[in-house]
Amino acid sequence: MADDVRRWSDELARDPASLVFLPLGETLRRQGQLDLALKIAMRGLERHSHNTDAHDLLARIAVDRGELQRAFDEWDMVLRLTPGHLGALKGMAFVRFQQGNAAEAEEYLRQAAEQGGDAEVVAALTNLRSRGTRDAGRGTRDDRSDNHARPAAHVPRPADVPHPAANDPRALFADILGQEEQTALLLDDQGLVLAGIYMGEDGQDVAAEVGAELSGVTDAARRATKHLDIGEWRAIVLETEVAVVTMAPSAGDGLLVVAASKATPLGLVRRVLDRCLDRARQWLEGSQ
Amino acid sequence: MSASPFATILSTLTRQRGVRASLVVDESDGIVIESNLQIGQDGDRVAALAASLYRKARLSAGAARLGTATFMQLEAERGRICAAGHNDLVLVVVADPAANIGMIRVEMIKAAGALP
Repeated sequence: MADDVRRWSDELARDPASLVFLPLGETLRRQGQLDLALKIAMRGLERHSHNTDAHDLLARIAVDRGELQRAFDEWDMVLRLTPGHLGALKGMAFVRFQQGNAAEAEEYLRQAAEQGGDAEVVAALTNLRSRGTRDAGRGTRDDRSDNHARPAAHVPRPADVPHPAANDPRALFADILGQEEQTALLLDDQGLVLAGIYMGEDGQDVAAEVGAELSGVTDAARRATKHLDIGEWRAIVLETEVAVVTMAPSAGDGLLVVAASKATPLGLVRRVLDRCLDRARQWLEGSQ
Repeated sequence: MSASPFATILSTLTRQRGVRASLVVDESDGIVIESNLQIGQDGDRVAALAASLYRKARLSAGAARLGTATFMQLEAERGRICAAGHNDLVLVVVADPAANIGMIRVEMIKAAGALP
């Protein structure tokens, strides 16, 4: 793989108009080198502004960077260039779902299914439609007047819809969180994000803001347990109108935060927290 | 002399297995409004610390756009602190680690809704 990157880079240096920027950008994206991948893709697009694959690559990079609206716009361009493009339809469905617009997500998935989408497209479509049925009695999300952030990673994710590369710290808990409305963050002792991701209503990654706010709770927890002489704190469970948030101390005076939708059973959230704690410990040990 | 409006609520909570103390606290200043304590519990200290913790959690949840906090539980090696708020009042329970937290939670959420 390193040889390929070198070879493609050399070729691109020799011939800036070469299409090798496509495999090069994709490889860099998968390796988590998102800034470099973005630069390669942007330069490629300057010379190949009507290349479908180039816009598709840029969309995938944008998703990995947490820039969902930008990704959507790029896939929209892909559809203009190549109507019915399956990858673009799946990607746009993914973005709209992440942004909380289940109706549009369903419509894009329906179109993807018509274009010969695979079993996962059909499963995601079925999943969305069943959610719609469940939600019908209490109003759709779009009807809500509140403006709360909701836990991310809640997408019935088609298999090849992009997500953070495997070696990207933002994807550290992805396989534990599954497809439910759950998200996890690992913070250091300063409240800075080490790993995990948290999407806001607008599709932006708001992990830093959420982490900074919630990490302040731990000081109050330490003070309370110390003065009440009930030992070290092990976990905090905070229930709100829209979410269940659990926090626990992690290695290195850090903090692990797991958030899930209000509908998630409390016991399940605690189990997810425990599994994420194990993962965080292994990851921190491995990174030392 | 009539009983305090919170006496029944606190009595119900304190009857739950493992509950050491139950209190109604003013969230803003942490002052005890009513309490039902077992021997050895310092009500003023519990009230101040629990109210401070709940307030911090509530504000943080709001700032993180997670909505209004309804219930908080802190789990420690030798005890638990639970809090549920309504307006400026916080219902606080201190319990043993082995307490049936599910039952306490249900009772607290129900009771918090009845706070003025």
